[in-house]
Amino acid sequence: MDIGIGLWCLQSTATSPRSFGQAYQDLISDAQLAEANGIHSLWLSEHHGYYDGYCPALMPAAGAALAATQNIQIGTGVLLLPLHEPQRVANAANLLNEQSPNRFHLGLGMGYRPIEFEIKQQNISQRLQLMNAGLDALKSQTQTPTWVGISSEKAAERAGRRGLGLFISGAFSKEVVNTLIQAHRAAWEKSDPSEDSPPPVGLLRNLWIVDSEKERRQALDWVRSSYLVYAGLGWGADNTGVDFVSQIETSMDEVEKSATVGSAEQIAEELDGYDVDLVVCRIGYDQPPRTALTEVIERIGRELTPLFDNPGGKQ
Amino acid sequence: MRLLLDLRNTENPSEREQLAREADKYGIWGVVVTGPQGAECVEASAIATTTSHVVVVVDIDGQDVHPTTLAEEISVLDQIAQRRTMVIFRGPPSSRTTITTLLNGLPFEGFILSPPPAQASIPVHSPEQIPQADLPENPAEAAAVIDRYRDAPEAFLIVSANNSIKELARHSVGRAASTDFPQMVADMADQIDPINQ
Repeated sequence: MDIGIGLWCLQSTATSPRSFGQAYQDLISDAQLAEANGIHSLWLSEHHGYYDGYCPALMPAAGAALAATQNIQIGTGVLLLPLHEPQRVANAANLLNEQSPNRFHLGLGMGYRPIEFEIKQQNISQRLQLMNAGLDALKSQTQTPTWVGISSEKAAERAGRRGLGLFISGAFSKEVVNTLIQAHRAAWEKSDPSEDSPPPVGLLRNLWIVDSEKERRQALDWVRSSYLVYAGLGWGADNTGVDFVSQIETSMDEVEKSATVGSAEQIAEELDGYDVDLVVCRIGYDQPPRTALTEVIERIGRELTPLFDNPGGKQ
Repeated sequence: MRLLLDLRNTENPSEREQLAREADKYGIWGVVVTGPQGAECVEASAIATTTSHVVVVVDIDGQDVHPTTLAEEISVLDQIAQRRTMVIFRGPPSSRTTITTLLNGLPFEGFILSPPPAQASIPVHSPEQIPQADLPENPAEAAAVIDRYRDAPEAFLIVSANNSIKELARHSVGRAASTDFPQMVADMADQIDPINQ
């Protein structure tokens, strides 16, 4: 099992304001730090038109991170394909692969914010058709390893049928994750694949390495805070009718329950049993100070990664 | 007049990066880069990351792409480049209007870039606004080309250098910038510090 880190969103949030220039410089130094500590990959995330500058253009950001490093893999987790022209995405992915061979991963998702579709003059009700058409177009235009961000069995099956990897979002229980993986695998097997092994599965987990109960509480508070940002994206900017104040506590409680926080050994034990090829440790929250973030990057590389360092086996 | 080194026809990525680093080191004002459609800002981003001073001029194909997408890519590039971005835009005039407005930090039809450009305003040029020239290997002929465009007067000149970057910097950057460039000093410098040693 490979261990990556994510999600780098390059924001300046109301809870943790910073300069955007600093955010992009931090991306480069974080990628270099992760590489120096043996971490497999760093993953970026995309949204559009949000007040906090959430990165709307992942390919240039990936280009910067790749140019500043030599070995670490960089992925999009995920690029919102219906909001882009597939040929342009393929061209960008191909150039990244040319510049940094075998180091770029293309994670793709559908998007869910109505305002983002309005900005790009797309109809959100057509997003599934746009996604499928985009995936089909990309298949013939790029050899880049491609992962599909999913949150339902049907979506997992669509990825499996196409022979594409899965990128499973962070807050699902182990049972749900394994159900999604089974749906993906079954659809792949039914598709009469030419490959010998199934497409890979990546799992995003809210995760932090700590040594004490006090640090554990702090880490869980950072996880909760990060979902305030996501709730703002999903509910705050759009007229969804959701009662922000009452729903946010429920959402944060659920996220806290699914977070994996403990010693490296405890985390490894928790991750054991997931039949996945990649775990992306979601540590790119907006609240932790830089020192805490850089420390956890080092600890994931030095303490957690070696526990999964068994070529040929998943766990 | 400021010189922009043309890297658009340098096919090898490593060679492009090396030339950009040399341009950065020797004080060339800008480098012009591009890529397949959709990859222009990817290339520019890689060049920006490996340089510190040189302006990264990105030549973009704006046909059949939503202008907001382009503006977002350029804005992110400008954050990466730390205010060193300039644009050559090839595409529909309506798209250019949208992009220019957004890259000026202004809203267009209710949408505003986030993140905004790092610069107050990112310059957007059409290809015909910036002349380009192959500089002859012969120093006197190269000087004549530079003088002609400088005295036109032009703000920028894209050059394809047939000689080394250091030679371009020594003999052409100062000449492009000033009508009283002391050619004798540059020639003496060639004696004291030969370019190819």
